[in-house]
Amino acid sequence: MVPAVAAPPLIEVKKKPSRLAELWSFRQLVFLLVARELKVRYKRSVLGVLWTMLNPLLLMVVYAVVFTTIMPAALPNFAIFLLAGLLPWIYFSTALLQGLMSVLVNQELVRKVRVPQAVFPISVVGSNLVNLGLSLVPLFVMMLAIRQRFTAALLFLPVGIAVLTLFTAGATLLLASATVFFRDVRHLTEVLLQVLLYLSPILYDVAQLGSRDSWWFRLFRLELRLNPMSYLLPLFRDPVYYGRIPSLSSLGIACGCAVAMLLLGYGVFVRLEPRHIHHF
Amino acid sequence: MRDGQITAQDVGIAYRLYREKVSTLKEAVANRFRHLRGAETFWALRHVSLEVAPGEALALVGHNGSGKSTLLKTIAGVLQPSEGALATQGRLSPMIELGAGFDPELSGHDNVFLNGALLGFTRKQMESKFDRIVAFAELGDFIEMPIKNYSSGMYARLGFAIAQDVEPDILIVDEVLAVGDERFQEKCKARIQDFRAAGVTFLFVSHSFEAARELCPRAAVLHHGRLAFDGAVDGAWARYRELARGPVPGPAIEA
Repeated sequence: MVPAVAAPPLIEVKKKPSRLAELWSFRQLVFLLVARELKVRYKRSVLGVLWTMLNPLLLMVVYAVVFTTIMPAALPNFAIFLLAGLLPWIYFSTALLQGLMSVLVNQELVRKVRVPQAVFPISVVGSNLVNLGLSLVPLFVMMLAIRQRFTAALLFLPVGIAVLTLFTAGATLLLASATVFFRDVRHLTEVLLQVLLYLSPILYDVAQLGSRDSWWFRLFRLELRLNPMSYLLPLFRDPVYYGRIPSLSSLGIACGCAVAMLLLGYGVFVRLEPRHIHHF
Repeated sequence: MRDGQITAQDVGIAYRLYREKVSTLKEAVANRFRHLRGAETFWALRHVSLEVAPGEALALVGHNGSGKSTLLKTIAGVLQPSEGALATQGRLSPMIELGAGFDPELSGHDNVFLNGALLGFTRKQMESKFDRIVAFAELGDFIEMPIKNYSSGMYARLGFAIAQDVEPDILIVDEVLAVGDERFQEKCKARIQDFRAAGVTFLFVSHSFEAARELCPRAAVLHHGRLAFDGAVDGAWARYRELARGPVPGPAIEA
C-alpha cells in the first residue's frame, strides 16, 4: 500500500437546505401532480368525477340488498357498517398499489430533472385522498336513505382521515423505493393486501368475534391486536357507524403507528433516493 | 462562493453494471443479493476537477460517451457524485432536456405551470411569467390545446420558452439550439447572448466548433470520463481532433 497522500480539502459547501425543506419547496408540484392525475383520469368520460361517487354507491346498494334480504347480517344497517370499513381500506390499498409504482413510472423525469422524488408517491396518496373525500358524498346520501344517525362524532372524521393518510404516505414511500430495487414488490403487495383484507376488521368487527377457546382463535385475536389496521380503520368506522370517537388508547396507538410508519418510510426513501437512478 | 460559481473537485460518477439484471426477489435470493453489492463498476466520470467562475462561459466537448452529459447532469443535481465533491451556487436553468415532464394530455397552459413547478417555481411566479412565455414560444391560441396535438417544433419552442424565463445564475445548454426553424434558432441564440451579457455562467455542450467558439472563449475536453484539456477554445479543438484520431478503446470496466 502506498501511504495515503493528504486528501485535498473538500470544497466549502454552503449549507444545503435539508431534504425536508426541499420537499416543502416543491409542495406546489405535489398539488399540480394531484390535479393532473384527476384531470387526466376524468377527461373524456361523460360522467367524469361522478364515477368516483357512483362506485361506492353501487357497492352499497349491492351490499344493502345482499345483507338485508338474501343473508341478513347480525348488525343493523350492515351496508353502512361495511362501507365505513371498506372506504378507508380502499383508500389505503389503492394509494399503496398505485403509489409504489410512482417512482418507476416517473423515471424519465427523475433522469432529467432535479426533483425530490418523494413528490411522486405523495401526490398519488393525495389524489386518492381526494377520491376518498368524494366518496363521502354517496356515503352520506346512503346514511340519509337508510336513516343512519348523524352524530357530532362525525366531526372527528377529518382527524381520523389525517392519521390514516400519514400511515398510508409512510407505507407508500417505503414500498415505492423498494419497488425500484425489486419489481416484484408490487405483486407481493397485491397478494399481501388480499390477505390483510381478511386479517383486518373490515368485513367484521373485533367486538363481534366473541371468544372461542381454540389455539387458532387466540392466534387470530393476537394478530388483530398487533395489526395496525385494527387501530387505523376504526378512526373512520367509529364516527360513521357507531357515532363515537375511538378510545384514547386506540387513538394513541393509531397515531403512534402512523408517525412510526411515516418516519420509517420517509427515512428509507430519502436514504435510497440517490441510488434509484442506477436501478431503473 | 458567489452566485453562478461551479466547483467540481475530483468528481467521479460510477455506474453499476450488471451482467445479469436482477429485478425480482427470486433472482435476488438465488444470488444471495450479490447484485446489491454491485458486480462491476463503470466510471462514466473520474477525477474531474473544474472551476467555473461567475459569468464565465465554458464549452464541453468530447466524443459520444465521453461523459459530457453525465457531467452536466451532475452539475444540474440530477446525479450525485460517487466520489469527490461538487458545488454550485445560485439558480440553475438546465436546458438539458426541454419540456421534461410535459404531459401530452394536458394543455400547453397546464404544462407551463407543471414544468415551472418542476423547476421549483411557485404558482404566483409562474403566473407573472406566463404571458412572456407564451409570447416567446409563439404559440398563440394553441396554448390552450393539449400538447399531444403540437408539432415537435411547437413542443420544443414551448420547452425553450419556459427554460429561458427562469432568470438563472447558471445556464446549462445541451445542444438544444437545434430546435425549431432557423428563425427560432436565431432567437434562442440571441436570448443566450442576452444571458451572457447579463453575467450568467454558461455551460454548453456541442459537437460544433463554430457554435462553441461563437459563445465560449474557454472549452474543456472530456475523453473517456477524464478531463483531457481545459483552456482556450482553439486549443481544445486541436486536442479534441487529436484524441479523435487516436485509437478509441472501448469503455474500461473495473471489476
